[in-house]
Amino acid sequence: MLRPYEMSSVIITGQNSVQESTIKELHSLKILHIVEHSKNELADIGKPLESASRLSEILVRVRALVAALNIKREENKFELKKGLLEIEPTAKKLSYEVNTNLEELKRAEELISKNEAARHELEILKDIDVPLEAFTPYKTLAYFTGYVKDGNGLSFIKKELPKTTDKFMLFESIVRKKNFVVLFVYAKFKEQSGSILQKAGFVPITFTNIVNLRGNASYNLEKTVEEARKLRQKKQGIKKQLEKLGNDYKGFLVAADEFLSEQLEKAEAPLKFAATQSSFLIKGWVPSGELSASIERLNKISKNKIFVHFEPAKKEDKVPVKLKNPKYAKAFEFFIDLYSMPIYKEIDPTFFIFLTFPIFFGIMLGDIGYGLVSLIAFWIFKRKMPKAKSFFNILILASFVSILFGFLYGEFFGEEKILELELPHLLSRVREMFTLLYITIAIGIIHVNTGLILGFINEFRSHGLVHAVYAKASWIILEIGIALLVLSHLGKISVSPLIGAIFLGMSILMLLKGEGIKGLIELPSILTNVMSYARLMAIGLSSVILAVIVNEQSREFFQKGGFFVLIGALILVVGHIVNLMLGLLGSFLHSLRLHYVEFFSKFFHGGAKKYQPFGAKE
Amino acid sequence: MADISTGLIAIGSGIAIGLSAIAAAIAEKEIGAAAVGAMAEKEELFGKGLILTVIPETLVIFGLVVAILILNLAK
Repeated sequence: MLRPYEMSSVIITGQNSVQESTIKELHSLKILHIVEHSKNELADIGKPLESASRLSEILVRVRALVAALNIKREENKFELKKGLLEIEPTAKKLSYEVNTNLEELKRAEELISKNEAARHELEILKDIDVPLEAFTPYKTLAYFTGYVKDGNGLSFIKKELPKTTDKFMLFESIVRKKNFVVLFVYAKFKEQSGSILQKAGFVPITFTNIVNLRGNASYNLEKTVEEARKLRQKKQGIKKQLEKLGNDYKGFLVAADEFLSEQLEKAEAPLKFAATQSSFLIKGWVPSGELSASIERLNKISKNKIFVHFEPAKKEDKVPVKLKNPKYAKAFEFFIDLYSMPIYKEIDPTFFIFLTFPIFFGIMLGDIGYGLVSLIAFWIFKRKMPKAKSFFNILILASFVSILFGFLYGEFFGEEKILELELPHLLSRVREMFTLLYITIAIGIIHVNTGLILGFINEFRSHGLVHAVYAKASWIILEIGIALLVLSHLGKISVSPLIGAIFLGMSILMLLKGEGIKGLIELPSILTNVMSYARLMAIGLSSVILAVIVNEQSREFFQKGGFFVLIGALILVVGHIVNLMLGLLGSFLHSLRLHYVEFFSKFFHGGAKKYQPFGAKE
Repeated sequence: MADISTGLIAIGSGIAIGLSAIAAAIAEKEIGAAAVGAMAEKEELFGKGLILTVIPETLVIFGLVVAILILNLAK
């Protein structure tokens, strides 16, 4: 509690001959947080084990299969019997099969898109009864295909063309409400005919996807449609085949991925070590409590061919942090993880969050009904999503505290009366708004000062008493100064305002010395920080008022009777669901914010690395 | 029927909270956009992003306190 696990720095050295067995043992011990060595003139980084390249090659193949077969990594019960010996041939065979299918799928898709393009062109040509072979380049024959704007253009062509030549064939049809024209002429009249067409407002189109087709367009169109149907069937077949492969090999692939990742992690571990020609050196951190047992095991496995040096963490060391909290507060480490790990020497605020977060949440949500609903909802979510267990544990505790505050406020879904029976309450949020406001401000003063005291302890540990007094105690003196000034000004205490002013001046000087100009700029923040706790009242109040509005609206409908009862019920349910969601979101975020902004800023630095032992899964 | 001064007090207090809420919203929108951008690059910044985003919220709290003080005049 309050402090992370004690850590010891560890250096393991040995000959290359025992490197692999050492890695294996460390991996199964799961206690060493390895500090990566960076190359320098004394020692290079190590070379990965021989198996690494083969492992990564197979892993790439397996992951490609996982992606190609669209496999989701779920919980898996598949067991690999022979490890790599099983994975390699199976993966090879499977990837051959999958690749063949994928290639066929691609080919089918290409054919489908070609078919579609041809169909599009054939649809334009379908009413023109000319064999499609005609639309190929001839020496003596030229042709034009395209649209003419309107009937006038068409009649213009019919009138003008015979003046140039009578050796022509003109076909026309209506395609999508436009005049489609096909004109065949002798090649030598091509230019003249072209200029006539241009005058008629002719817009040419070309047909590129029907070059190899024989026979007329309508016959080909039928054929193409039939072909498209077959192609789609084929595509479906391949897709089904792939799906089947995915289902059959799902367990194998996920297990293989896991197995290979783990093996590869071991094989590539030497990249983090320092190495010479014939020896290796591993630097890292181990929780002090587990030190002796693990050293014993390492020595045994390497037959005493390695040397392990260890010492407790020194002041200037960058120690990875493993938070240490009692079981009931453990879930709240989630919030620290989300923010930043405290530095090794710093106070770990998890326990304080455990104390205050649910209370703040409860003050804001504070309703028996809402608390019950959210308690049940989060309990169900927790069962459904075991991965986010600690997060839901927090919310369940917060919901429970909300119920307690609900009894305190005497509120049930915003109602203070149930069936004409008034709920007993200590404090009504709606009618005694100001009392609650003062209470929340008082909570703010306590919370902020707790933060300052923690800050004092942190500073005292890291920079000594003098700095701690200047940087943190000065804030408390400042508060006393302000309080004395205000109280004496209001005439509540018979002390000269001068004393308050002296306190104030003194604290400002101390702050200037402790935190420099930055401290002076921050001066008003102590007031805003404390005022900020008024949100505990404000957010709760807005949620109550919304609930009251929902209740009143639906009551009106209920009183009308008949069909209106249904509408009233709808308003009641939807209104309360929306309000509950808003309330949960608001209470959660604002409670979190009060910790992160107002509380943490008084003492927390953070920025340490999280303790991640080699071999442990995330 | 409340007299006109009560109405004016209500309007005044409404303006106090309304304008401060708009101010906070304008400030938060800019910070929020930047914070989401930063988070997209580096997920660990969620905590810091959240804090920076909610800092202007204090403005609304001030607005609220002033609004309540004004409302108190009506009593």
